This record gives sequence, C-alpha cells and structure tokens, in this order.
Amino acid sequence: MKIGIPRALLYYRYHTLWETFFEELGVETVISPPTNKGILDSGSIYAIDESCLPMKIFLGHVEWLIGRCDMILLPRIASLGRQGSACMRYQAAYDVARNAFRGRQIKLLDYNVDLRKNGGQIETFLSLGRAVGKKRAQSLHAYLAARQADKAVGTAELLHQQDLLRGDRCRILVVGHPYNVYDPYVGGPVLDCLRALNTVPIIADIVDRREALERSANISSTLPWAFNRQLVGAIDIYRRYVDGIVLMSTFPCGPDSLVNEIVVRRVRELPVLNLLIDGQEGSAGLETRLESFVDIIHFKREEDITLA
Amino acid sequence: MKAYLGIDVGSISTKGVVIDSKNAILASEYLWTEGDPMGAVRRLLKALASQLEGKDVQVAAVGTTGSARKLTGAMTDAQVVKNEITAHAIGTTSLYPDVRTIFEIGGQDSKIILVENGIVVDYAMNTLCAAGTGSFLSSQARRLGVQVEEFGEIALTSQHPTPIAARCTVFAESDLVHKAQIGHKKEDIIAGLCKAVVTNYLNNVGKGKKIAPPIVFQGGVSKNVGVKKAFEDATGFPVTVDPNGHLTGALGVAILARKSGKEQPFSFGVADMDFVTRGVECGKCSNRCEIICVYQNGRLIDSWGNRCENGAIRAAK
Amino acid sequence: MPETKVSFPHLGSYCVPIEYLFTRGVGVDYVTPPPITRRTLEIGSRYSPDTVCAPFKYNLGNYIETIEAGANTLVQTGGVCRLGYYGELHEQILRDLGYKVRFVNMARASYSNPASFYSEFLSINPDLSLKRVAAVLTLVLKMVEHIDAFESYMRNNVGFECEEGSFDRLHQDFLASLSAVESHKELSAISKLYMRRLKELPINRPKNPLRVGIIGEYYTIMEPFSNHFMEKSLARMGIAVDRWINISNTLLHNPSKKVITHIKDYAKYDMGATAMFSIDKALEFAKKHYDGIIHVKSFGCTPEIDAMTVLQNISNDYKIPILYFSFDSQTSETGIQTRLEAFYDMIVMRKEDRK
Repeated sequence: MKIGIPRALLYYRYHTLWETFFEELGVETVISPPTNKGILDSGSIYAIDESCLPMKIFLGHVEWLIGRCDMILLPRIASLGRQGSACMRYQAAYDVARNAFRGRQIKLLDYNVDLRKNGGQIETFLSLGRAVGKKRAQSLHAYLAARQADKAVGTAELLHQQDLLRGDRCRILVVGHPYNVYDPYVGGPVLDCLRALNTVPIIADIVDRREALERSANISSTLPWAFNRQLVGAIDIYRRYVDGIVLMSTFPCGPDSLVNEIVVRRVRELPVLNLLIDGQEGSAGLETRLESFVDIIHFKREEDITLA
Repeated sequence: MKAYLGIDVGSISTKGVVIDSKNAILASEYLWTEGDPMGAVRRLLKALASQLEGKDVQVAAVGTTGSARKLTGAMTDAQVVKNEITAHAIGTTSLYPDVRTIFEIGGQDSKIILVENGIVVDYAMNTLCAAGTGSFLSSQARRLGVQVEEFGEIALTSQHPTPIAARCTVFAESDLVHKAQIGHKKEDIIAGLCKAVVTNYLNNVGKGKKIAPPIVFQGGVSKNVGVKKAFEDATGFPVTVDPNGHLTGALGVAILARKSGKEQPFSFGVADMDFVTRGVECGKCSNRCEIICVYQNGRLIDSWGNRCENGAIRAAK
Repeated sequence: MPETKVSFPHLGSYCVPIEYLFTRGVGVDYVTPPPITRRTLEIGSRYSPDTVCAPFKYNLGNYIETIEAGANTLVQTGGVCRLGYYGELHEQILRDLGYKVRFVNMARASYSNPASFYSEFLSINPDLSLKRVAAVLTLVLKMVEHIDAFESYMRNNVGFECEEGSFDRLHQDFLASLSAVESHKELSAISKLYMRRLKELPINRPKNPLRVGIIGEYYTIMEPFSNHFMEKSLARMGIAVDRWINISNTLLHNPSKKVITHIKDYAKYDMGATAMFSIDKALEFAKKHYDGIIHVKSFGCTPEIDAMTVLQNISNDYKIPILYFSFDSQTSETGIQTRLEAFYDMIVMRKEDRK
C-alpha cells in the first residue's frame, strides 16, 4: 500500500505530522514533487478558471499522483473549533478533487477535520490509521510520535528565526499562507529576491501559534479564519523587530482580500507591501516591486538615523 | 430574384453578405469598423450595392448581428436582430452540417459552441477580459514590431515556443519584454503567444466542455495559422478554418432573416441617409440608465437602454 | 446624543421587514438606503479593496448613501463565508473616510451565546424591550415567508402577464401594505388577499413553457441590481423562472441535513455557504427536465467556484445546459444580454428538436 500526498495547500502546514505518522505505521508514502510549471499547467486544466492559484496547484499535484500510488490523502478542514474556521476552499477541496478527476479511478484517503462536528485531531488520525488497516493502538502510538516530531521541528524553526531577529540588518516580515510562502514556485522567488536585496525575510508562519492566535485580537477582533488569525497575530508579535511587511497572497484569495486591507489600514507604523501573485511567469514585475519597496525602507531608515 | 442581407458589426470589423433563397452568397464585403459602426455600415452597404449592380436582385429581408446589432437593425429596419452566438452557430452549421464544436475568437470575445445534430446544445463565452483575443494579439504584434497578419506564418517556423503568461494582458506585456531581454527568438515568442491564446481559451471558455470533432475555428483570429496549429496540438483533432469563416455571422443572420418569413423590400439607399445617435441619461429614476436614441434624417426612429418603463422613449412610427 | 437612525444594506425586497423590525421591534427610526444605482456601486468600489467580492462593494455603497440620507447607526450581520468579516472592514473604511457613525457588527456576537445578540441590539437602543423585540421578530419572520411565497409565484408567471407591469404594480402595493400591519392576524389577512389577487391576474401561460432554474451565491441571486435584473430579462423572453434560494428556505427552514443525502453522488461534504444548495437544486432542476440552469455569483466567490466543478458534471450527466455568470463592478450590460439571448435561442432550439 502506497499513500500519495499532494505537496500543496495543507501539506506545508502538516507534512511532518503526516509523514511521521505514516512512517511510524510502516506505510509507504509518495509525495508529489515541488510545484513546477507542468504541475500548475495540468492543475489549470482541471480547476475552474476563476479558482485561486493554490487550488490550481493543488489539483495539479493530485493529478501527478494518479497512477503513482494506491490512495491519495485528501485533507479537508472545515472548522478548527475555538481557533476559528477554515477558508471554504479547504472545506471543498475533497469534493472538488473527487469531481474534477471523476472517471480517473482514483481512491481518496479521507482526512476530515471539523471540530464543530467531530472529535479532535486524535480522532482524525485514528480513523486515518483505520483506513490503512492499522490497529487503534498502533495508530495512537504513531500519532503521538508524529505530534512530537512536529513539535520538535516547530521549536527548532522558531529558535532559528529568533536568531534572525538580532543584529541590525534590514528585516522584512513575510506574511502569507504556508502553501504560498514555502512553495518554491510561488513564494520561492519572493524570498530569493528579498535575500538578494540583502534583507532578512522573517516568516510570519514561524511563530508560537497559541500566542499568535491570542494576539491577533490586538489587530482584528472578529477575524473568523484560524490560519489568518495566526498570521495577523504574528504581525503583532514581530512588528517591533522588522522594518517592513510584505503581505504575500495569491489571486484571487477570499480571506486575504479583506484581511490584508485591515492590516494595511491598521498597521500604520511600518511600510506594507501588498504583493498579489497570480502564478504567471515574469519575475520582472516582482523584482521591480520588491526592489522599490526595499528602497523605501532604506530611505526611511536613513531618515530615522538622521533625525535621531 | 429575392435575396437576403445579413450584417455583422463587431468591435473590430464589419461584415456583410447577400444570399439567395438557397443560401448561396451573391455578394460579400469585409471592412474595418474603425470605431464608427454607422459609418462602417454605410460603407458596407455601398460596397455590396456596387457588387450587385446590374443584377436583378431585390433584398426582401435584413438580419443584423454583432455588438452593434441593435443600431444596425434600427438603421436598416431589420426583420431579425440576433446575438452573434446564435448567428455564428446557424451560419456554421449551414456550411458544415456535421460540425460538433465551434471555436470562435474575435476582437474582444471568445466563445465555444457545442452542436449536436445541427442544434446548439451548449455554449460559453469568455468571462474575464480581452486577454487572449484578437485585440490582445494585435497589441502584442505591435509591441514586437510585426504585422499581425504575419503572426501565424512566423509562429510556424518556431521549434521551441517560449512559455508566455497570457491570462492577463498586463502581465503578458511585462513578461514579453522580459522574455525578449533574456534572448528568446522572436518566432519562439510569437509561437508562445499563439499557444498561450489556445491554453487560455481551453482553460476558460472550454472548461468542462466535451470537445468533439469535427471542429470549426472561426473569428478574426482563425486567420492565424499559428493559433490553428496550437489548437490542433492541444485537442489532437484536425481543425477546419473556412476561407469565408469571417462571414459566418453575417451568413447566419441572413439565413435567419430568410427563415423569419417577414419580408419588406430593402433599399440600399439607406446608406445615403443621415443617421445620428445620441446617448441620453434618463433622470426619471435613480438608475440613471443611459438611453441610446437613433435619429434618421433628424427623426427619432428607435431607442433602447432603459431598464424600466419610465425611461421608454417612443419612436414616432 | 442625537436620535438613533438605523440602516441596513439592501437585499431585494427584504428592506420592508427589516424596517419593520427596527421601527416596531427595536423602537428606533429606520432609514431605508436609497435604491441601488450605478452610483452606489461606483462609490462602493472606489473605497473597497479591488479583489473583494461585489456584495461587499454594494453594501459599502449602501452605507455611504444611507449616511448621506441621514442614518447614524449602521448594522452588518455575520455570515459563514467572507460575509462574516465584512463588518469589521466596513467599519474601518467608514472611519477612515471620516464618517462618525455607530457601527453595530453582529459578527461580534456568537451563535453559541444567543444573549450576545441581545447585547448588540441593546447597543442600538438601551431601553429595548426584549419582549417586544421577540414578538415583532416572529411577525417579521412570517412576513419574510409571505414575501418569498409571493415572489416565487411572481417569478414563475410574470413572463406571461397579459397586461405589462400588472405583476410589478401588485407587488409594490403588497410590499407597501405590509408596513401597516399591526398583528399576525392582519399580516395573514393582507398576505392572503394579495396572494389571491396575484393569482387572479390574467396570464397567458402556454401549457408547456420554457423553464429555467436559477442557482448561485446568496447576495447576487437575491439582489436584482447586482445580477442586472436577470429574472426580469428572462421573464420578458417568456420563460418561467424558478429559484429556491431565499431567506425562508435557507435561514428559516434550512434543510442542510437532507441536502447532503440528496447530493451524495456528487459531494460527500458540505462545501460551504450556498455551494450545497446550488448543487442540490441543479440536480433537482435537471431531474425535472428544466430547459436550462443559470448560475450566478459575484466574481471570486469561493464556495460557488468550487460548486462549479460539480455543476459541470451534473450538466454532462443530465445533458442540461448551464450558463455561468460572474459579476463584478465592471460587468458590461451588453455582454450579459448577448449571453442571455443566445441561451434563450439555444433552449428554444433544443426544445423544438426534442419534439
């Protein structure tokens, strides 16, 4: 039995958890390769034209996995309970893939998180284990190990990022969903460009998640989406340590269309760049925008120094 | 001999045909609209009249289509005013009774029409903007310093089409500059543009549609052999482009005029009359509809654009 | 403190019961937003983020115009999709524009705690009587049901009216008479009377008319301006129009549990907001051999885009044409009319072919 995992959407948030879980259970996995143009192109064939870029990429990854595994892990998240809800795209992803690839003989491995209706993460993993024919005790053990591994990775990333907050180099907070920031095809060029411009990108997703959730209320009090709350909370945590903020989102993103506007209107003390990526080739425009943004930050820093 | 006139006024070009009762074309003309639909129709009518000179032809019914169909319909007192999707479908099925799929890319619109047994069963039209249509290709051609008419031939010489982002005109332009800068050959960029138009089309209007052969490709862009070839590569089916493909809309609406059963002798002398349109903002309610009034020799003959009865301006009949 | 003048954005004919709720129930003045016009959308778009969905822009336009008309207290609901976050941004934009108004955002209340809604209402009128609000609310909900029933019949038959405008006139009279009712009894009598008069209006309905079902996103389907008065255009073509989405069917008698079993061949889960309803009703229209389906939504509406993947399968399985519309602030009127006319021609030809 081989489980295919699409390297898209929730993968970037949960991959340690998933990979360790299956590894502990002795279930083989195959992960689709990092996004490339071929994957985006095939996803664009299956996705409704008006869909957001991440959905197109997601379907491209699912397509890549067809025929290369026995089952494809298809995560669906509707609600994270108290933390908030999820964008409706996560809610629909399972059925969209099912309908888009109807007739392609794919078997989907259901991964459903809906804390309003079902149990928590533990139950989700136990039922995942059941679906691949493992005993409850085995699955529980694998889940606990996965949790631990995930936590260890998170802590290490956080410590590394805290190191970056020291020193007087220009730091730019990159605020974006993990599937955008970490996808080499989407966020990769942005991070590369920022580094080439001699700045240090600080990733908003790397943060103490519980603290971020609480502090998001300092910027916005009725934000319904858990993942956006975390990012907004991260802005509140990091705002004192950075020189500017890049809001990285992909076209057309429902939640970001509102949240980014709130951030622009409420985080006034820092330069904010609203960077909308639509997955088209053409790094030229991207470079121009980032370069002029970094210029503005430098001018501002020099001015601050002179004034001081 | 009784004949039927069909006029198709689009944003870029204006087309007209005169057919007999067996749908055979007696006269046809194709010219640029140049932003002046009324002037274009006048020139069109004069050209058609001169082609028919000396022949015993009496136009018994007129049909109009295209984005200026209402205006043209008012000018010619047409029996049939039909949208261009239906007109194209009728025109094409009259030439190719077995056709299953019609691709159409015009100046600002693109559409797909699915046909079964001569009946339109499904269609879709572009939702977003003019990216990937005729006007998009023309502007990119200008940018590359190439005549748009040569585009197709140049594209065919390319061995490695350059991937181009063409979903949005603005993105495409900056991408084009970038690709040229990093040394892509002109023919590869042009072939890439043709390919991008097709990919765009299939991902937008073609989405979820079962594309079955025979396929007919028409509209201004069908003259571009590069795009035609890209369609064949993408679908795996041969694609037919009719040499008279640009006339199918006019032909279709002429057929509809013939079938309407309404007849009234038409005089090409209309071309010499004075037509004026005026846009009036209706102030009778807060919708403030823009009402278009058409005057012939100073007399109001038609008006439209009002959303409610308050704005109705009656023409003196 | 100046007298409270409340307002709530437009949604079809529901401004009538909403006004009733505020004036009779909450006990404050109500300012009905000026009718939506092109200006409403223009100013709404000017101050909204570009890629936000069109209903946000319409609502903002309503707020600004209603402030100009004298309102000083604005209300926004919560909702399951982006709507749940509209209020906070609307308020921020209005503040940044310098408007000094009270903004009551129901998204601050929580469904798990009904008392929190009460406290939001209290912020509108501190002397609020809970008893009175509760009594008026039940009346208002009934009123909504009567309006929906009236409009359902109207939608299905107005295309065949013998006298042009007769349905519209009666509809306007009906809505106007509602604000005067004092009790459940009166409401029921008035509604019955108008329903009877509606059914007595002469129509010339063919035995087997063209039937089109409309599905789609909540706001765009219910606010006629935002869908370019599509139902009217279809009626003028002589089409019997059906749509299931209205407040009664979705909010008051939400059938989610049943729906998920109807559509299980196409979707396992709730895909969010109205997506499930769109799929369910498309399936129903297809099974009932409607001549076509029209899907409307605002550009970028996530749940409805996701539903489209399913709708395409339904369209192929049942051989029913579905026409998709995506509206934003730039949508061209001519484009819509061309597509509608072509759709009409197509379903006419298909129907003739079937004979």
